[in-house]
Parts: sequence; C-alpha cells; structure tokens
Amino acid sequence: MTQSYEVFLGCAIPSRFNNYESSMRAVAKELGIKLIDFDGASCCGTVVLKSIDESSWLSMSGRNIALAEQRGHDIVTPCNGCFGSLKDTDHVLHDDETYRKKVNAALKPLGLEYTGKAKIRHFVEVLYDLKDEIETKIVKRLDGLRVAFHPGCHLIRPSKVAGFDDPELPRKVDELIELTGATSVHWDMKLRCCGSPLLIASEDVALKILQEKMISANGAGANCVVTNCPACHTQFDIQQLGLKDDDGNSLELPALFVTQILGAAMGLDLEPLGFELNRVSLDPINDILGL
Amino acid sequence: MTESWGNFKSFEGKKFKAMDAEFTNEVSKLIGGKDLTACFQCAKCSAGCPVSDKVNIQIHEVMRMMLFGLKEVLETDMVWLCSTCYTCQERCPQGIDITDILFGLKNMAFKKGITPAGYIGARKSLYDTGRLYEPTDWERDDLELNPVPEFNIEDTKKLLDKMKLMKLEEDE
Repeated sequence: MTQSYEVFLGCAIPSRFNNYESSMRAVAKELGIKLIDFDGASCCGTVVLKSIDESSWLSMSGRNIALAEQRGHDIVTPCNGCFGSLKDTDHVLHDDETYRKKVNAALKPLGLEYTGKAKIRHFVEVLYDLKDEIETKIVKRLDGLRVAFHPGCHLIRPSKVAGFDDPELPRKVDELIELTGATSVHWDMKLRCCGSPLLIASEDVALKILQEKMISANGAGANCVVTNCPACHTQFDIQQLGLKDDDGNSLELPALFVTQILGAAMGLDLEPLGFELNRVSLDPINDILGL
Repeated sequence: MTESWGNFKSFEGKKFKAMDAEFTNEVSKLIGGKDLTACFQCAKCSAGCPVSDKVNIQIHEVMRMMLFGLKEVLETDMVWLCSTCYTCQERCPQGIDITDILFGLKNMAFKKGITPAGYIGARKSLYDTGRLYEPTDWERDDLELNPVPEFNIEDTKKLLDKMKLMKLEEDE
C-alpha cells in the first residue's frame, strides 16, 4: 500500500543539510513512500519560540498542523526539532482546552482550524514500519562501519509525547542501521543531548557537551556518527570540525544521516545521497560506503 | 562553572526576604506546573542533566526555589542553559513535567528582559520571515531539489500579532 505524507522540512534542512532531504527523497522513492510538498509551511516554532512565548509557539506550529489537516493529509518530518515541536503542539492543543480555543480563535481569520486529525510522524518511524521491505533491498553490505548512533532527544523524549521508542533503551533506528551490515556500537553518552539547542545561549557549553559526546563515541571504537536530525547534525557535521579533547587529540568522526547509509546499502545512485556535501571528511570510511 | 549567564550564581550568604506565595501560584499554572508541589528533592533530575556540571544552580535547586516562591530563580543560569533534552522530565519519579515548567520560566524571564541576546534576534527573524534560516539555493539546484514551498508571511504575522510576540516586554 502506498503511504503518502506532506513532508515538513523545517528551516535547518533547506539551509544546511540539503543532502538529508535529497537522501530522504531517494530512499522514500525506492520504498514507494509518496512525499507531497508542504505548501504554506512556516518554521515549526521549535524550542526557540516555545522558550520565548508559548502562545506564539502554539499558534505558529498549530497553523502548520491545521494546513495539513485541511488538505486531509498526515505529516512526516525528518527533523527531530520539527517532530518534537509539532507533536508537542498536538499534545497541548489536544489536552488543554484553553490553549486550543485561543489558537483556534487566532487561526479562524486564516480559514483554518486545529481539530487533531492530522497524524505527525518522523521519517524514521515510517522507515521502521517498512523494516522487512528494507531488508530485502539491501544489496551492498556496509561491513566494518561502526556507528555511534545518536537518536537525539525529541525523537524519544518526552516519551508520552513522542511515542516512538523506549526512551531509555531505544533500538528501532539501530535495527535499521544494522540491516546494512553496520554495527551500532554501545556508547555511554548515546542518549545525552548533542547540545545543539544551547548554541543560541552559550556556544561554550554547547561545545563542551559535544566534546563529551565525541570522547565517548571515539572511546567506543566508532568510525562514524549517524543522526536523524539536522539540529543534531549541526553539532556533529559543523561544530565538530577541528574538535579536540583537552590534550589536543582530534575527536573528529565522519557524520552521516541515517538515510545516506540506508541509501548506500540499498545500492541507490550516489549523487542524490549527497555525500559530497558532508563537511567532516569521509575518507576513513570511503571504502566501506563505496564512494 | 559558567560565568557567562545569570545574575544569581550561588546561595552562599544569600538571605531571602519572604516566600512569595503568589509567585509559587503563578508557576504552578504554567504548562506542567500543576504537580510542582510533588517534588521531594531526590535530585534524580540533576543526576541525568547534561548541564548539571556546567551551571551554578542545578535543576533540582530550581524546583525548590519555585516551591519556595523565590523569584530570584529567573536570574539563575539553569533557566537558559537547559538544553530542553527532557531527560529530567522522563525520569522524574513523581511524574513532574520539569522541562515543560522550565519553558514557562523562560517565558517569564523573557518578559522581564532576562534572556540571552540570541533569542531577541531569533524572535525578530521568526516574526519578519517566519523562518529561522533561509534556504541554500545552490545546494538545492545541485541536488535537483524543488524550491522550498512559499508561504504568505502576512498569515504568520497576523497570528504572532494576536499573541503580542513583539510586545511581550510591555505586558509587565
């Protein structure tokens, strides 16, 4: 059965990680997932606007949900930040009548209403549903790829909102990664925040958290980091450039999107997978990926 | 550890005038705030917090300051150095929505002008353009991606005007 969704890209992907969108579309096409462009989408609001003013956040985010609802579509997003913001909005507007009335009063002049009909899903949730089909499509095994998978926070927490995987022992995306022949290594900082939301308040603290994460990933013998979020990827593929431990040893590891390694293992054309846009050098794993 | 943020850096030598019951009442009404009084200070929140070792005032101390009605909590670094990872909320044995309450505290602090400069710029960007970042068109062309769908900025401006986003400070 063909699944179709309006695809919510958010701001960070079109700005910094077009290779994530492109690799997502390539994988979706191969699996028969129909992605409809999301007309009229603004920023999801994210934790940034929620931090400034919750009513503004709920109205901005609620408008996006109401647009998809009006067109009778469900929403899929490849961004943890957008996923968390839209799901959280859905959760608040569903449970809190006062906020629902306030947001709907503001949406009414735009011809929109939130009623909660549109489902909001992360792209990796959709992929996990198709795990068996993905397994049959693996044509190039990525043996030797030792992945420090970073699930990110808002994909799994708060679990009553995200509702995707075990918040203390997530395994679903790891299972997808291991379909390729790669190993998802155990690293003790796996569940820790990447620090990305702190870049706006204190770059020093954000980088300290990233350093702790990368010491853990290196110590676990990983040869790459894999994410499913452009906000986290900002830490791992931009801020990570030149990152060292306190003794001056390099902590750099290649950073990949989960859709890039799935696409490579499914034998898809390399060009849309966008490896040439990855910033941290992929040299150590070029051979494994077949680049 | 941090010197970079927040005027309230330590309890050392501090004397507090009175416990402001009205402030406790106000924070109890925030999203998630209804269970605030259930906190028994086990500090599991701080144990899992990624910034516990990087802030002057930790999250379990913030919880107690709210319960004691200490408005000084808005001046602590924990408020804006919370990374919103939700680990504390996920693990709280009393089921308190700690991270959500902290968002409400950020809102209260913002209205009083206590906020890192980055948030002032982000508010303007969200209001003026409806986005935080603009698309990088050459990359999209190279990858043969369609242009990012347009939207009418007047629509989000109407919403944000209604919520008084650009006049939050005047609400005080």
